[in-house]
Amino acid sequence: MNLFFRELKSYRNGLIFWCLGMAVLVGSGMAKFATIQTTGQSVTDLISQFPQSIQTIFGLTGFDLTKASGYFGVLFMYIALMATVHAVLLGAGIISKEERDKTSEFLFVKPISRFRVITVKLSAGLINLIILNLATFGSSIYFIDYFSKGQSYIGDVAILMVGLLFLQLIFFFIGTMVAAVNEKPKSSASIATAILLFTFVLTFLININIKLDQLKYLTPFKYFDARDLMANGHLDSVYVTISLILIAFTIFLTYRSYDDRDLQI
Amino acid sequence: MNVFFRELKAYQKSTFIWIASLCTLVVVFLLMFPAFTKDVEATRAIMANLPLAVRNALDISLQNFFTVYGFFAYLLTFASLAGAVQAMNIGVGIISKEDSGKTVDFLLTKPISRIKVVTNKILAAVFILLLTNLIFILVALSTAAMVSVSSFDAGLLLLIALTLLFVQLFFLAFGILLSVLIPKIKSTISVSLPVVFGFFVIGMLGAVIGNDNVRYICPFKFYDSNYIIDHSAYDIKFLIIEAVFILLAITASYVIYLRKDIRAVS
Repeated sequence: MNLFFRELKSYRNGLIFWCLGMAVLVGSGMAKFATIQTTGQSVTDLISQFPQSIQTIFGLTGFDLTKASGYFGVLFMYIALMATVHAVLLGAGIISKEERDKTSEFLFVKPISRFRVITVKLSAGLINLIILNLATFGSSIYFIDYFSKGQSYIGDVAILMVGLLFLQLIFFFIGTMVAAVNEKPKSSASIATAILLFTFVLTFLININIKLDQLKYLTPFKYFDARDLMANGHLDSVYVTISLILIAFTIFLTYRSYDDRDLQI
Repeated sequence: MNVFFRELKAYQKSTFIWIASLCTLVVVFLLMFPAFTKDVEATRAIMANLPLAVRNALDISLQNFFTVYGFFAYLLTFASLAGAVQAMNIGVGIISKEDSGKTVDFLLTKPISRIKVVTNKILAAVFILLLTNLIFILVALSTAAMVSVSSFDAGLLLLIALTLLFVQLFFLAFGILLSVLIPKIKSTISVSLPVVFGFFVIGMLGAVIGNDNVRYICPFKFYDSNYIIDHSAYDIKFLIIEAVFILLAITASYVIYLRKDIRAVS
């Protein structure tokens, strides 16, 4: 348990910073809602007939911006981007930092197996993810409640937060997997980030070219699209299955590779 | 000059990877331009049904985007994001890596002043960014020439492409400033990523919800593509803001680093 609290403590300040940043993002985004001009339904309907590529490029999102929850749907893409940046850096860092900071000799001569070290580190990471998720949830509820006038939104926000947690988990374990497989501790975070950037850009590429639609399984951002989540009110079972398989696979590889590889001393 | 060449060599591999990724990005996006042109036609047909007043309002803002310039400016938002990460990584890392790599007393005990060390490092960083942009622009312009059916103004495209360099220089300066301010940087990327993505999200969000004031704090939005396409020039106000910021950041970095207490490796 020492290791567990040690990890929580070492990420405490960073986590506070991330939670505050997230609250500011949600708050400043929703603050604009109070002043936004309502466009009127007829124009929104017409715009929704535009090809998706045009809509994407102009940032037309197909959300009902007259409702606070629709407005929050627009915000979600950005919240998801920040949360996944946090998750991927956390995942890559928590595994590779012992080697990077040359503390692995100190840690691994302790009477504690590598398997346990990884388990504890992953649990500490999960706590961090959940706290950030809850902070996002809390600030979203607070700010939406503040700006919406008695509209129902809890269901919409809750489903989005579940999607957000999935995204965080996927990228967290991608991070840990990269750090476990890769033998150069310094480049782990960069590689994990490259994967994140690639999937993020791919999401937009798919949006502007309908022919690439089959590639949507390659980018987790597509699995939990705010528009679909809010329209359906539940998660897509195919995407959830893919996510779970992806998470299980990356966890397996994290253990497998780190358990029997040489450490950089 | 040894420090300068040493840095170029140290960043050689990562620079190649960055250049290759940026070029792939621009080529992949531009190859989609022909399909996009078809979508534009469909949009025009739908727009013909709109009431005249609405059509006029929409048309003004959409007109620019229906050209190769507008499409290029759109893909440049992603190139700038990637480029900003590159620049910020170099900025944060180029001075602090001596400290985290425990090579700082090796370097600073050499008969070379700290001013010279910093100057050489900054020059190397700028050189890397210039090289990246040169290749990026060459690839971008030649690909654009291939995919665009109608002829286009290469000068205008160049103006838009150069905004990548400006964004990168901003983040380079900001990164250098942060690297001398933060006492101990263990991992470059965990400093640079949140900052770059933070600015990026602010900029995107500002554009979606239509807040113009965001432009003054977000380097990604300094060089508005609409303005460039309309005037074939940059908005001078933002060039000045950027120049002043870079000047202040670099000066402050020199002042701080020259007086900084640097711990010897124990």
